Amino acid sequence: MKYSYIKPRKKSILTPEIRLVLAFFSMTIFMLLSTYGFLMYKDKMFIKDKLAIENEKIRLQQNTKDIESKILHIEKQMNTSTKVFTKNSVLRDSLKNLFDLVPQRITLTEAKLLHNGLTLYGITPNKDVYNFMLQAPLRSIFHQTYTSFYPAKDGWLRFVSTNYMDDETDKILEDTDSISPKEEKKDE
Amino acid sequence: MNSVSRQSIYILILSAFLLIFVLIFSLKFLIPYGKEYRDQRSQLSFARADLRRWKDFDNETFARLKELQAENRHIITAFDSSFSEERFIKKYKGLFNSLKLSKTTHLDDNNGFEVYEVTTNSQISSPETFYKFLDEVNKSDWIIGVNFPITFKRNSEVISSSFKMKVYCNGSSNAKDSNSSK
Repeated sequence: MKYSYIKPRKKSILTPEIRLVLAFFSMTIFMLLSTYGFLMYKDKMFIKDKLAIENEKIRLQQNTKDIESKILHIEKQMNTSTKVFTKNSVLRDSLKNLFDLVPQRITLTEAKLLHNGLTLYGITPNKDVYNFMLQAPLRSIFHQTYTSFYPAKDGWLRFVSTNYMDDETDKILEDTDSISPKEEKKDE
Repeated sequence: MNSVSRQSIYILILSAFLLIFVLIFSLKFLIPYGKEYRDQRSQLSFARADLRRWKDFDNETFARLKELQAENRHIITAFDSSFSEERFIKKYKGLFNSLKLSKTTHLDDNNGFEVYEVTTNSQISSPETFYKFLDEVNKSDWIIGVNFPITFKRNSEVISSSFKMKVYCNGSSNAKDSNSSK
């Protein structure tokens, strides 16, 4: 006996409403998981980038250090060469001054320029000429001056003049890095 | 009586599960990782700024090196050149009536440079020649300092002179530093 005119339909738990809700939920879960995946990926990338930056920084620091040591070396070369060139120039000027110091009436035969002294050999018409025209300026330059005279054949006098500067003066001059004025040299 | 349908109960249960899942997932994973992400990002931007500063500093230092190299090319080359007696005589014999070098001695390293001492004997016609030599030696292919003792001796019409020269060049450890490339 039938109680209904319609055929019974099969009932399912997944009704269209529940399917819609499930689809919405799936999308939500998918978005959550995607965000989590994105964070994980970015985290790894950040660590990787930081490591690369750190390595690059170390390389740059090393490179800069190398360049700085090269700069230091060039500066050292500059200082040394400047010192040497200055010394040569001062020596030239000192020599010039010394030769200008020798009067026409005195003839030099030999000059020895030492680190802290000067020895001159020469001929002078007489002691006075030597004393006034050469020894006086030498005394103003050197701390110690000794002179010996020997008679020459033509009535003139041969002389040997030995002049020294005190070591202390040398030290001061060396300390101040200046070129020693011990170069009051001469020749003929 | 208004009864709740079974379908509504299912939806309610599902929603409750989703809510619990979202809460737990967010609190346990998303929020801590989100914080870490933010920290890492700020650290990375700081590291990038730091790297940029180092790059700028490196570029400035390199530019300074190039400038120094360009300004002091002659000096750098001179320090790199090893002293050659033949070349020296060839270059300066024009200034002297005669020029002889002897006794090349290797002195102790001075301030990182190797120093050679060369004894020189020459004949000059006048002191002017020696002044000229002192001028020329500052422009030579080597770093040369004329040193004591210096002797001038009159010998008829010429002046015999003898003096010592110190030649400075790079020590073996410094030689490789003299030419740089980035």
